[in-house]
Amino acid sequence: MELYRLHLLQLTSPSLPIGLYSYSQGMEKAVEDGWLKDERAVTDWLAGLLDCCMARTDAPILGRLYDAWVEANESAVAHWSDDLLAFRETDELRAEDRRAGLALMRLLSAMESSRAKTWSCHQSTCLATAFSLAGVERRIPKAELIAGYLWSWLEHQVVCAVKLVPLGQTAGQRLLARLLPRIVGALDQALRLDDAEIGGSSPAWALASSRHETQYCRLFRS
Amino acid sequence: MLAERFHSGPLFVQRPFYPEQQVCHTYLLHPPGGIVGGDELRFEVTSAADSAALLTTPAAAKYYRSGGLLARQIVNLQIGDRAALEWLPQESILFEGAHMHSTLKVRLAKHSRFIGWDTICLGRPACNEAFGTGNGLFEVRIDRQGRPLLLERFQANGESANAGWGLRGMPILASLWAYPLSRPELPLIQSVLEQQDLWGCTLLGDLLVCRGIGAKAGAMRHVLISLWEAIRPIVCGRKACPPRIWAT
Repeated sequence: MELYRLHLLQLTSPSLPIGLYSYSQGMEKAVEDGWLKDERAVTDWLAGLLDCCMARTDAPILGRLYDAWVEANESAVAHWSDDLLAFRETDELRAEDRRAGLALMRLLSAMESSRAKTWSCHQSTCLATAFSLAGVERRIPKAELIAGYLWSWLEHQVVCAVKLVPLGQTAGQRLLARLLPRIVGALDQALRLDDAEIGGSSPAWALASSRHETQYCRLFRS
Repeated sequence: MLAERFHSGPLFVQRPFYPEQQVCHTYLLHPPGGIVGGDELRFEVTSAADSAALLTTPAAAKYYRSGGLLARQIVNLQIGDRAALEWLPQESILFEGAHMHSTLKVRLAKHSRFIGWDTICLGRPACNEAFGTGNGLFEVRIDRQGRPLLLERFQANGESANAGWGLRGMPILASLWAYPLSRPELPLIQSVLEQQDLWGCTLLGDLLVCRGIGAKAGAMRHVLISLWEAIRPIVCGRKACPPRIWAT
């Protein structure tokens, strides 16, 4: 048994105290506008975001951040973190990514990562910046770290769907199980992309998240 | 004023107008109107410090069905310090089977001012032509002093045109960007979009981004112009003065 596997479980656990439970990434507005009425609509929404956005933006950039930490190239860390934040289409998505990233950096710093300390108040820090540093320091292989990041995103979105649509707990688990194989595909695709091919935007996601900023009655911060 | 113009091939910079004295209104003409696979349309615009210009096109750009070759549009806008540039082209229409790649790069200096928009129409809904086999790649990059403010990369194809996470079956996607805007000015922009169920806006630092999807080109254009009328006094310090060519 390799210890890094247990570190990865810790890093991807919903109990990691970085506040992700308070964000829905626009799903709250998409539900209010009737875009996500049932399990099927949620499956299509998440499958599309996973294949066309996460696999093309977050996953390949997370891989490059990982390499940058391995090479101790902090200007590359800043470059890729800036690009990832610039790909976030709305103010709420950026604020969420920054807050979660800084929270994880502070946590790593409190767990005696010396590099995390200088990045816990850096303007470029986002979640992937901290997640990749944690992975490198715990010797988690790159592909497994990316898969863990995607899993964590997906699991959290499914929890939001269970609360918001709402879906039953069983439906939530069924949905999650059905989407898991896509993480494998997304990972393969992400590892093959050239720098110039990075990036995947979703007009509906951007719209839902922008409109969430003025949603009259809401539970989530994004 | 227009300091220098250069064209090659069937793409022209028309003699500018000065309907509001200080601002150079310039029409970019592409008389063939249509773009086929293998064509490349490139706009290189440099606006000097303290200049003011509004660029527009008299007609939609039509991307025809391709036999396999890629049609390319590249727009590079470099905006000097304290210069104001407005990039307000008419829409791009992608015919069924079109194969195109569009890149818009905007480079801002610290005190540049910029308003830009882009409208993509997939297929020709008025003729009942859907967009099943075509594909278009739309890249947007807005930098300020070398740092990215916004990156976008949208792959339009039969799947993303219809998917719930894509264009939700709407044939038209419109985007508008404006710099700089500040938080207290945002509610005014939000109020322009209040009755629009398929539009949204967000402020990314000092960069305003408005996006909408819809079924009718005229209605989308109307929203864009209303936004521009609200934004122009804030960003450029001038009332909206619509180019005459829009009325024809």
